[in-house]
Amino acid sequence: MITIPYLTAVSTYFSYGLLFAFGQLRDYSRRIFDWWSTNNLHGYAPICLAHEDFYIRRLYHRIQDCFGRPISSAPDAWVDVVERRTTKSTRCLNLGSYNYLGFGSYDEYCTPLVIDSLKKFSPSTCSSRVDAGTTSVHAELEECVAKYVGKPAAIVTGMGYATNSAIIPVLIGKGGLIISDSLNHTSIVNGARGSGATIRVFQHNTPAHLERVLKEQIAEGQPRTHRPWKKIIVVVEGIYSMEGEICQLPEIVSICKKYKAYVYLDEAHSIGAIGKTGRGVCELLGVDTADVDIMMGTFTKSFGSCGGYIAGSKDLIQYLKYHCPAHLYATSISTPSAQQIISAIKVILGEDGSNRGAQKLARIRENSNFFRAELQKMGFEVLGDNDSPVMPIMLYNPAKIPAFSRECLRENVAVVVVGFPATPLLLARARICISASHSREDLIKALQVISKAGDLTGIKYFPAAPKKQEEVKDTIKLD
Amino acid sequence: MYVRALPTTDVNRNTEWFTYPGVWTTYILILFFSWLLVLSVFHCSPGMAWTIVHLAHFTVTYHSFHWKKGTPFGDDQGIYNRLTWWEQIDNGKQLTRNRKFLTVVPIVLYLIASHTTDYQHPMLFLNTLAVFVMVVAKFPHMHKVRIFGINGDQ
Repeated sequence: MITIPYLTAVSTYFSYGLLFAFGQLRDYSRRIFDWWSTNNLHGYAPICLAHEDFYIRRLYHRIQDCFGRPISSAPDAWVDVVERRTTKSTRCLNLGSYNYLGFGSYDEYCTPLVIDSLKKFSPSTCSSRVDAGTTSVHAELEECVAKYVGKPAAIVTGMGYATNSAIIPVLIGKGGLIISDSLNHTSIVNGARGSGATIRVFQHNTPAHLERVLKEQIAEGQPRTHRPWKKIIVVVEGIYSMEGEICQLPEIVSICKKYKAYVYLDEAHSIGAIGKTGRGVCELLGVDTADVDIMMGTFTKSFGSCGGYIAGSKDLIQYLKYHCPAHLYATSISTPSAQQIISAIKVILGEDGSNRGAQKLARIRENSNFFRAELQKMGFEVLGDNDSPVMPIMLYNPAKIPAFSRECLRENVAVVVVGFPATPLLLARARICISASHSREDLIKALQVISKAGDLTGIKYFPAAPKKQEEVKDTIKLD
Repeated sequence: MYVRALPTTDVNRNTEWFTYPGVWTTYILILFFSWLLVLSVFHCSPGMAWTIVHLAHFTVTYHSFHWKKGTPFGDDQGIYNRLTWWEQIDNGKQLTRNRKFLTVVPIVLYLIASHTTDYQHPMLFLNTLAVFVMVVAKFPHMHKVRIFGINGDQ
């Protein structure tokens, strides 16, 4: 639930209106100038229509130095951010990488094993899984992932985004219904659109609205013929990456059981980051993994590798292995990356002989809760539930997006800011991702820098919590 | 002072910004400030200024709501390429609160403009023509209708 001061909402609309008006003016003048000059198209059609990339040309390009900043070191707690058009780089505190458990840089257990597997196998398997791309490491990885997540079997693909967009069309087709949360990631939206099924959206994280949509759709049936739906899949995410909110899984699972719909849970951000042993949102909220039909996740966030997985029943995984294009045609996940995932899982579960995994999990939980509490005390509007390592700080006005980002970079703190198409128009934010490799001093420095940048840009929308009254030793009591 | 922003179920990013709180107020404030601007720049009578605002409002909103089709984003794969903004809002559902508000605003502007110019001739004709075209374009029966193929697809 986002609470906006009314004046901020009105001023944000004004600002966007102004930016839009200026953009249109410049487009018109550009069109008039181009009328006079000859075009070099030679009869070919233009690649995109002028109004299709209006947003990119007139709004995104104005502040494009805040996005896509190149880095030249591993994405650890401190990272080398390169100054554009030079070879100079500055060491900045990294608050933007999804490095939840600190596996993003050299790890004393994982990296030697990865280098060994790099020497034994090669960086790429040069083949798809069904041809010659399955090594013993791949088989071990799938077993390991299935055991870790708590399902009978798992299938692993080489890219996290492609996992969603290639698997959903295989699971459901025309005549089926996909009900997805309104804030689902683009990969799910693309997979759903590519499947040909009918898509309905329910209000973000509101089980009551999901129930209403399910009831309506089951009663109405397919769009024109009104025949019953062949299959209904409800797609939700574990942690929503733009809000930091944790899904209300128990209620959603009980509603889906009542109406006999399948549940597809995308744990890209929550696997490895929440839950007592890092097993994700099911462990955190006490949901039995047998109730969630399809569990999907990626290895890019907490495991420091690449790729994605789908875990489910043996029949489901067998079916996917015969039908999923990401398994049949795409190159399999690179063997050293697979080894990194196996070693990371072993560290998390403590099977490498130390308790570093448990320490990491405890540290990320402490860090997230400490950081969120401190930010809220300073008066920032921070979204997200407790225990979630993703915390967006609301900015709202479009001018504050580059101001906050550049001010933080000046003080050597690298933050990620997100604005319009990725978030609703009003709700631009700076998204902070806390890692287990951040130490307490790092967090305190980050808090100081963010507080200063927040004062300069005016984003402390809530009143700050009053400081505790200091006891003054020599007051004279007047009777 | 604070207002709650509930996330919408509208997936079309071209129109979902209209469902958040504060849009109606901003729209009315923009009209009011543009009236003040016209008054200060042109030194005309208040009635003339309201007529200018009404006609400019007609031009801008007709072009952006009922003429431009599609969305300014390339990555929604062109599914809205045949629909104008008016046909896209609220997912095509007719007679919602937003649509009723947007229909009432040009009518109120017309009433203010004609009243402050004392219903005198050239202004009254132009204002009436503008409001007639505006209101007819917003009727539920005109959803996806292209008269004589004007603004139709190639």
